[in-house]
Amino acid sequence: MDFRLSEEQELVRQNMREFAQKYVDPIAAEIDESGRFPAEVVAKLGEMGYMGMPYPVQYGGAGTDYLTYALAVEELSKSCAATGFTMSVHTSLALGPINNFGNDEQKKKFLTPLCQGKHLGAFALTEPSAGTDVNAATSTAVLEGGEYVLNGTKTFTSNGPVADTFVTFAWTDKSAGAKGMSAFIVPKDAPGLRVGEHFMKMGIRASQTSEIIFKDCRIPQANLLGGEGQGLKIAMNCFDHGRIGIAAQAVGIAQAAMEESISYAKERVQFGKPISKNQAIQWWIADMATDIDCARFLYMRAAWLKDQGLPFTKEASMAKVFAAEMCMKHSIKAVQIHGGYGYIKGQKVERLMRDAKITEIYEGTSEAQRMVIANNVLR
Amino acid sequence: MAGVWILAEGLESGRELINIGQTLAREQNSTLTAITWQGDLNQELIAYGVDEILLLPALPEDEPRQAYIPIIVERARLDHPEIILFSATLLGKELAARIAGQLGAGLGSECSGLRWIKEEAALEMERLFYGGAAVQTIRCRQAPRMATVSQRSFAPAERQEGRSGNVIELPAPPPSPVRVIERKSRTQTAGDIAGARVVVCVGRGFEKEASLELARQLAQALGGEIACTRPISQEVCWLSEDVCIGLSAKKVKPDLYIGLGISGQIQHLTGIRDARVIVAVNRDANAPIFAAVDYGIAGDLYEVVPQLLAILQK
Amino acid sequence: MPDILSCYKWVADEAYIRSGSSGALDLNMADYKISDYDKNAIEEAMLLTEKYGGNTAVITVGLPDDTKGVKDALSRGPEKAYFVNDPAFADLEPEQTATLLAAAIASPIPYDIIICGEGSSDLYAQQVGPRLAEKLGIPCLCYVQKVELDGSQLVAERKTDAGIEVVAVELPVLLTVVPDINMPRLPGLRDTLAAGKKPVTEFTADDLPQGQAALLQTTNSKVASITRSSRMFGTDAASIGDLVQELKNSGVIA
Repeated sequence: MDFRLSEEQELVRQNMREFAQKYVDPIAAEIDESGRFPAEVVAKLGEMGYMGMPYPVQYGGAGTDYLTYALAVEELSKSCAATGFTMSVHTSLALGPINNFGNDEQKKKFLTPLCQGKHLGAFALTEPSAGTDVNAATSTAVLEGGEYVLNGTKTFTSNGPVADTFVTFAWTDKSAGAKGMSAFIVPKDAPGLRVGEHFMKMGIRASQTSEIIFKDCRIPQANLLGGEGQGLKIAMNCFDHGRIGIAAQAVGIAQAAMEESISYAKERVQFGKPISKNQAIQWWIADMATDIDCARFLYMRAAWLKDQGLPFTKEASMAKVFAAEMCMKHSIKAVQIHGGYGYIKGQKVERLMRDAKITEIYEGTSEAQRMVIANNVLR
Repeated sequence: MAGVWILAEGLESGRELINIGQTLAREQNSTLTAITWQGDLNQELIAYGVDEILLLPALPEDEPRQAYIPIIVERARLDHPEIILFSATLLGKELAARIAGQLGAGLGSECSGLRWIKEEAALEMERLFYGGAAVQTIRCRQAPRMATVSQRSFAPAERQEGRSGNVIELPAPPPSPVRVIERKSRTQTAGDIAGARVVVCVGRGFEKEASLELARQLAQALGGEIACTRPISQEVCWLSEDVCIGLSAKKVKPDLYIGLGISGQIQHLTGIRDARVIVAVNRDANAPIFAAVDYGIAGDLYEVVPQLLAILQK
Repeated sequence: MPDILSCYKWVADEAYIRSGSSGALDLNMADYKISDYDKNAIEEAMLLTEKYGGNTAVITVGLPDDTKGVKDALSRGPEKAYFVNDPAFADLEPEQTATLLAAAIASPIPYDIIICGEGSSDLYAQQVGPRLAEKLGIPCLCYVQKVELDGSQLVAERKTDAGIEVVAVELPVLLTVVPDINMPRLPGLRDTLAAGKKPVTEFTADDLPQGQAALLQTTNSKVASITRSSRMFGTDAASIGDLVQELKNSGVIA
């Protein structure tokens, strides 16, 4: 079993590291403080080819394997979880459905500018009444004279305020149950689409999150993704991919927390010696290193399975729940290692701890992940 | 003559090379030869310790000094010097490397220490590498053993009375393929930091150009010169690169170096490692520079420096 | 339309240098990289061909395992690479490297301009470029900060101890460049992925004339430590006064 990355993978990771150091590190604290969307950095990511990594070259993607993409998400998230998340929600959740279920027309029209970084994608599924319980959604889509008319409110839509293209879900046939929801591609200028309330968040504050309101929103019939009734299947499919990205993001956050802790522990002198000489600190850092390695191998394994065309649902969920929980645990520990300084605005670990929490919640809560894993294992 | 050769670009750097050159020549029971193009320095060089001068002729105005290379190589092939030393100036480093390339000789670059190992007939050289993070000691047994020597690694040789030496004129070199169109002198807007006894060095801790005034006042109060780290001269361009201290910039050996708002990257520390006393003021108690200082203050330079000035001016 | 050949060295990243037992150098944890100033050399080749047309290639001397470096170099724009490699080529000194480069270039590799970095980030001997020029018998311009072409003539600004010289020379020529000459581009994803498909010509020790033995023997390498007392003073007036007194006692201020 060869655990080594290929030279290309190492180079891509190294280049993303350099990109993040050059363009993201200098602004990470500021965009967290102000909640500003780093449009210029996202545009640069697009220019450099990072906004459609695992998709076919013929549609503007870079045609990398999923593992290479996940490595890039980890590196970017190490500098800024919000920027890393913007890239991953766009790539996995918004572009994934179009790539996997779209027809050639739709890919040419929508996927290509999205992969080229000319457009930003968003994924609008969650509603006020429907989080983990997707079926509790109330948005509807009615076919009327060659157009679908959408009505409903989506909430917690990441990239909502800044996206050009939305992938959204609504009931086309409530009576059909699991086969009654459909997926749609909605451009931002579709009549009847409105960006609603912007949410101020605890963490990943530079990532823009809002309601998306459809009020008699009209889109061409050709914007139906897959077939009518395929909505749930499409959503479940792209969650599998998305989880690999979130796991990678969580590993990036944890890696940053560990590096900050190591550097601080070596320099902070109490009782005449650096605190890195204390066994408790050493053990905490040893646990960080071990859990980060575990989480990284879990997401790499899930990505590898996907790249081999093998089933990877259970493995992606395992990676996501483990990475998110260890990331939360260790970012708290990182603040603890920094003592009072860790609690002060401007210290990186203060931001990391706030950023970490969301990884346990979005793209399937840890509870939802456990349901998936249990279903798989207890079959 | 064989023995030890030095390339004397001027009297100041020449005297340092004469110092170590003489020592090495004595160890070998041989003589010291200086190659120079400045004929008016002949008697001075001899007085400081040179036994023989190889005098290069004047060049046409539009030829660079590198034109001398073929003549120096030809003479070296004739005389078989054991050792050839150059100052580690831009010119010295280039001449040394090109001459070494022609002669197939070993060359130690920017050496801070040189020793003759008699038992092995080897020149032992000490120099920094890995960006100043490490030190290596190398030996060369094969003549000509070549080295470029960092300035101020050796004290200048002392004048000796009653010395004599001979002067040999070397022939003119073939025309150079490189034509000099223009020479521009660096505008000396700043003082000479290389020779300064006290250096006050500014770094990124200064928030705006106007606040450099604090550093200037401190330099003046101490009778010293102002200098800077690379970001200050290369990125924000508040000071000229003449006063930039670092690995690929200037190195200084003042009695007192005071670094203000400098974090202490290894590339900068390489430029100040030989200062007699190093003091630093930085807001960040964890800054690497504090591991390399004799005395440090972890505090805001905007508060510390005025207090320092007040005490000095009392 | 010049043929431009850039030289690069694959080196241990000095940021990872550790102190082993008794201060010896430990490079086991080191990542490898293209030497910093060589990136400027490769970049300058790209900028010149973007402005004047022509072809670009890179050449390096290293170990057979250093294939990642070849890809890294190619991801920065050059069309092809010449990879001089052999297990025997570890820890070469400048004379050996220059001799091998000269032999490979004589095979022949077409060139009008050869560009090297001012010095490598590991040894920083600043010798390979100038030595190579002498072995090839071509003119050499060191410490170049600006390059322009005018037909078969190259005009450059180079740094001198006194300031700057503006010089002109007929091609072919070898240049060593200073880091201020340009800002190396960050390879984009597509460039990185395309690098592995560009042609690489290899030369091993068997393909080249017998090399010469090393002239320099390293008897010691260790981490350079600046060991000073690191005495800290407070920020209050009394403590600063104490510091000034210390400095007076040491004789560094009057």
